[in-house]
Amino acid sequence: MNNASPDNREGVRFFGTVSASVSHEVKNVLAVVNEAAGLLEDFTVMAERGMPIDPARLKRAAQSIQGQVRRGDTIIKNMNAFAHSADAPEAGEDHETDLAETLRLAVNLFTRMADMRQVSLALGEVTPAMSRASGFDVIHLLHGVIGAAFAAMSAGDALTVSLTGRDKGATFTLSVPGRSVAPPGDAEFTALARRLGASAETDENGALAVTLAR
Amino acid sequence: MKILLVDDEVELVSAMAERLSLRGMDADWTDSGEKALAMAKTCRYDLAVLDMKMPKLSGLELKHKLTTLCPDMKFIFLSGHGSESDFKAGCAEATCYLIKPVRLEELIAKIDEAGR
Repeated sequence: MNNASPDNREGVRFFGTVSASVSHEVKNVLAVVNEAAGLLEDFTVMAERGMPIDPARLKRAAQSIQGQVRRGDTIIKNMNAFAHSADAPEAGEDHETDLAETLRLAVNLFTRMADMRQVSLALGEVTPAMSRASGFDVIHLLHGVIGAAFAAMSAGDALTVSLTGRDKGATFTLSVPGRSVAPPGDAEFTALARRLGASAETDENGALAVTLAR
Repeated sequence: MKILLVDDEVELVSAMAERLSLRGMDADWTDSGEKALAMAKTCRYDLAVLDMKMPKLSGLELKHKLTTLCPDMKFIFLSGHGSESDFKAGCAEATCYLIKPVRLEELIAKIDEAGR
């Protein structure tokens, strides 16, 4: 790790941040399943003792477990897609990244960040777009701009991220009604944007346009 | 002993409260720090079981506000995270710190311990 380049170190750190957040979500899923299963066990013990059990309470506990299994499955699918964004073949002449799919994944991964800040994160209009940048780097870049936008938002604010494909690249647009979205000013984002040939600037409507060359 | 459970995972905290109630314990629950503060203003709780990571008010912040309202209240923290910094902060501020998923028997033992 000490021999890793700064780019690699930042990448590993970002991977760790996302993995830790996902693991926390999975823990919550397991905790809910644990309580719902415990409740079913309690009802079984009560039934064994001849106590009447309302079937609706049993149904509710079973539905809770089923709902959490679906939630956990979605979280793990997203984590799996994120993990594969890091081990995918290097994007380049022979391999391009689907930016629409990558943006959807990023929004799914960062929704918990939004929840913790009591703001919302939604996908806006998305048109097809491809890039030679790696999916992992694009998610990293989006994490930078979305995180900076969250930091300037208040509880109840809503961030929408749209994608517009262009011949020579694509533009992600981040907008928050009533607010201007500024690009991140940190060195990590600047270095990553430079490496990807990306630019980020606030337009006249206050939306942040992040343009990525193809 | 009157217990207040606070966690933003509604299905978790409601099931936990129901299971404690089935064991004869007097437990209320809510899913946010703000609601917990409002409840603590109208009801005297002896112990609060708080999730560490919650939107807006974290478990630690909520603990400080609840302590101002009810100086004798005792606390148990729950967390999905096992990070060392959270663990140290949680242990320093509460009777105990349990990692989710929690065994109910363990939670009850800690509640009993806090009540002594």
